[in-house]
Amino acid sequence: MTDVLRIENLGKSYGSKAALSGVSFAVADNEYVSLLGPSGSGKTVLLRLIAGFELPDAGRILFDGKDIASVPAHERGIGFVFQNFALFPHLSVYDNIGFGLVNRVNAPVTDADALRSRIMAMVELVGLTGLEDRGVHQISGGQRQRVALARTLVSQPRIVLLDEPLGALDANLRTRMRGELRRIRSQLGVTFLHVTGSETEALAMGDRIVVLDNGSVGQIDTPDTVYNSPVSPNVARYLNCYNLFSGTIGGGTFSDGAHSFPLSGTPKPNASPAYAIRQDLITVRPSNSPLGSGEAGFTATYLASEYTGASFMYFFRAVDGHIVEVENHLSHRAPQNLDVNATYQLVWKADDALVYG
Amino acid sequence: MTIATPAPDSADTTPAGPVARPSRAAYWLIAPGAIWMTLFLVVPLGMMVYVSFWSQTTFKIEPILTTKSWVAFFSSDTYLSALWTTIRIWLLVLLSTFVVGYPTALFVGLFVKNKTLATALLVLCVIPFWTSFLIRVLAWRPMLGKEGAINIILQAFHITREPIEALLFTELSVIIGMTQIYCVFMVGPIAFMLGRIDPNVIEAARDLGASFWRIFRTIILPLSMPGVIVGGIFVSVMVLGEFATAAALSGRKVNMLGNIIVTQVGSLKWAFAAVVGVILTILMGLVVAGFLRIVDLKREL
Repeated sequence: MTDVLRIENLGKSYGSKAALSGVSFAVADNEYVSLLGPSGSGKTVLLRLIAGFELPDAGRILFDGKDIASVPAHERGIGFVFQNFALFPHLSVYDNIGFGLVNRVNAPVTDADALRSRIMAMVELVGLTGLEDRGVHQISGGQRQRVALARTLVSQPRIVLLDEPLGALDANLRTRMRGELRRIRSQLGVTFLHVTGSETEALAMGDRIVVLDNGSVGQIDTPDTVYNSPVSPNVARYLNCYNLFSGTIGGGTFSDGAHSFPLSGTPKPNASPAYAIRQDLITVRPSNSPLGSGEAGFTATYLASEYTGASFMYFFRAVDGHIVEVENHLSHRAPQNLDVNATYQLVWKADDALVYG
Repeated sequence: MTIATPAPDSADTTPAGPVARPSRAAYWLIAPGAIWMTLFLVVPLGMMVYVSFWSQTTFKIEPILTTKSWVAFFSSDTYLSALWTTIRIWLLVLLSTFVVGYPTALFVGLFVKNKTLATALLVLCVIPFWTSFLIRVLAWRPMLGKEGAINIILQAFHITREPIEALLFTELSVIIGMTQIYCVFMVGPIAFMLGRIDPNVIEAARDLGASFWRIFRTIILPLSMPGVIVGGIFVSVMVLGEFATAAALSGRKVNMLGNIIVTQVGSLKWAFAAVVGVILTILMGLVVAGFLRIVDLKREL
């Protein structure tokens, strides 16, 4: 696979505040990359720089090996799908999709038959057949999303940037569109760079995930690796499935003041020591049960639970006030009857924990 | 007005359920407005039509129906030319307020990203309205006159040798004056519509490869059309009924229908003034109806 897009040391500041600094990564041809970051991590800025809506202060953006700093947005061959779709409100579905082909400066399509066949092929690909004459206010949110996608794809860009494309949709539609996006992408063989603030979306969609952390790249890897071994406490935090403790490392143990956990293996390098244990790797035992060998744990007070269908989330409070979440997958374990305000022993294998320091 | 009948017929309206319908009491809210409009708009309009058919002699007007005033209007070159002048000035002012107003609105509504600044700029447009209408009109005289500011400047820079006399007391001066006075009514609605355009929509069009002019023609202009229509209606209604600017800046040489009404009322020719009033009202009605046909405001706003 060849890199279609390469970002090198990209930086962008607004006033004295750096939005992005030293961002580097590459996106291969025919790949689905999701870009995960919490709000304020600079993910939208990064997308706008790649699209050419804004200019970087530092670094290079290489498209097919060529620096595109001086190439205006519309000549980059990069499509952009806006978060709120940004459809042309006065045009029909058909005219929205055809807008770029008809109105672009470079090689507009003037032959009516060619235009119609290209638009209709795209209408069919995104599943909007029969709706092409509707106004964009007469269709549903999911259908508008498809129009926005089709409008961009019809110009056959090499790469499409999607800015939180599913953010404006309701939950069950979002899950369906995920599958649709993947299908449409693989059918066209185009590269997608999908920005999202949702870790589940990033994990589900991407062939690879780029995690943005405070304006720089936190981790780039496959969803599986990112999920199971985040390289830093921040990346672990964005995945929303780890309990994190900060403290000190010394004498083979990690201590956060209230508890200490035995270490196994060497900590991953990080500026400040931290300890992370995934929520679904913790078991809840009676408070008097002792820790076995190779196990770590502490006692905590049970607060509440939340049923999510496939699992239960249990919330505990440690002695220092730290809230700990435990996920009980119902396919692994039957739901437990826990008494509110009673004390329990939370246990995990020391090997399962991730240590940074 | 009918008195609300209680219980019997209310039975078949109640099953409508929780859907909010205006109760009878709510209709009383429109009573003051309705009474006002009836007394001071509907009745006078009916009266005007009625009076236009009265018999008018030099000193007397009698409710004996005749079409004499109507025949007099349509057989007089003076009055027909006043009708034509009115239409011509209306069209020219409409065009010039659009030509001057649209770019201004485009700047304020689309290119000024800061909403506070945009509001401040719109307020600036309204500042001339802090002085009285008459002063605003008369202030054009020292500007446009033979020895007025514009002629002095033009001569000082040796752009013209002789003062341009056509600047004042001509149709041109009327159009200049009216454009200045009514332009803001064009700018406001257009700037409002332009301000509502999602900036992402324009960015999307640019990303799809369209040039600025293409984007303007295919996206910005169509989306601002309701503003142009509303502005056009404002300007049209005001210009068609104008008489003061025309009188003050043309030295009574340019007569619009409004000026005819003023003169006729001044000489107590009520029937004839009523004829002109009816014609002016019909003209305005046609213009507004025409504008509303161009854009479906109910859908767009």
